[in-house]
Amino acid sequence: MTDPDPQETSDENRPRVEEPDQKRSGHPARTPASGYSVRVPGFEGPLDLLLTLAHQGKVDLSTIPLADLSRQFTERMRNSMDLTEATEALWMLAALVEMKAKLLLPKAPPPEALPLPEEGGMPETVEEKVAEYRAFKEAASALRALEDEQKRIFTRSARPTEPELPLEGLTVEDLFAAFGLVLERARRQQAAEVADEPVRVADRKAAILRALARSGEGLEFSDLFPLRVTVVFVVVTFLALLELVGEHKVRLRQESAFSPIFVWAAG
Amino acid sequence: MREGDSSGGSGTPERPIQAGGEEIAALAGTLESILFVADRPVPADRLAEVTGVEAQEVRSAIVLLQSRAGGLVVQSVAGGYQLGTRPEHAEAVRLFLQREHAEPLSRGALETLAIVAYRQPVTRAEIEQIRGVSSDWHVERLLDRRLIRVVGRRQTVGRPVLFGTTETFLRYFGLNDLSGLPAMGVKGVQSLLEPLG
Repeated sequence: MTDPDPQETSDENRPRVEEPDQKRSGHPARTPASGYSVRVPGFEGPLDLLLTLAHQGKVDLSTIPLADLSRQFTERMRNSMDLTEATEALWMLAALVEMKAKLLLPKAPPPEALPLPEEGGMPETVEEKVAEYRAFKEAASALRALEDEQKRIFTRSARPTEPELPLEGLTVEDLFAAFGLVLERARRQQAAEVADEPVRVADRKAAILRALARSGEGLEFSDLFPLRVTVVFVVVTFLALLELVGEHKVRLRQESAFSPIFVWAAG
Repeated sequence: MREGDSSGGSGTPERPIQAGGEEIAALAGTLESILFVADRPVPADRLAEVTGVEAQEVRSAIVLLQSRAGGLVVQSVAGGYQLGTRPEHAEAVRLFLQREHAEPLSRGALETLAIVAYRQPVTRAEIEQIRGVSSDWHVERLLDRRLIRVVGRRQTVGRPVLFGTTETFLRYFGLNDLSGLPAMGVKGVQSLLEPLG
């Protein structure tokens, strides 16, 4: 925020509602780092703020000309089209239209009162709800600070993109070579060949799919094989992986010759 | 120090856990080299495994690395260690990489993400109840960016989908795990939070 007004910086949520006759007072519409700003009689600022305020009843939508908003939108998009911004703005405009339409229609009988089962922790009173929302807004700004900090730290990113073929950038031989390394590791680490639990391919397949779902993204090949497990466990896990590849349930990718092989859940 | 020096493999209690300062310094160099080539956070276990030392020694060496002045920092992120450029040099590095300023998350997306992070697992309806506005658009964007994911379904009427955060989320914000999330400010709300982790 680069607002010179110190009061503003302390509470960014403060409504920036202005009188219609002030609207051409010279200062340009604020364009924060994110979001789409609008300027209409009765409101000037980010569209998402307008939506929030309207929802909280702090702005009377019946006095806001939505036609102006939509005209500004089409003009803005004609000049420069940022698909993300356009989509988000369009979605919010649609929400405003819906809210205004509801506002103008005769009142329906008292709505919903959806019973919320088992949610003992849900706040009951309006004050609690406001406090709760405010707490999350604070948490969001704390996250923003972390985001800013982390954006200033560059790492060897190269997170591989999701493959579209069962095997990308590697051959079956590469895969077996990687398997050989894991197998050797298991042989070295194994204290004694103890026949503990029987290891089943079906179980290992399920475990691989679970691990992939848990990570939400690709896993490194070697991550599929926990440390200090039996050779049988490693072999069965590898068989399970091969079956999953054959069934098109996972895809593998290697970025370059010596980079790790990554496993992804397919589709 | 090096791999393959012990035949026992797992659990070598007879080995002295406390290595000398020189050894730790040498280990720190080895770890730095590994982290340099790694393209994702490396867990302490994995570092211990490839260097043939105990995880505790790895942690000591990492502390040593972190205390060094230089162009790089070692961060604890998503359960592992990661080498990154020092934030003070961000502008120069960005210019060198010819990389644009990455688009930050929009405010609405960040609010939605905060709710998922602190309340997980959470449904769409619960998110909307807190924010007071429909948050579908933000939820979809956060899913696209892999900052959140579907973690299951609540066993109630309609079996609504439950959302939680991902490893990408931890890396995006430079967090080691969910316990590293900033504390929520309002006392009354803190008590409403479900236990994390």
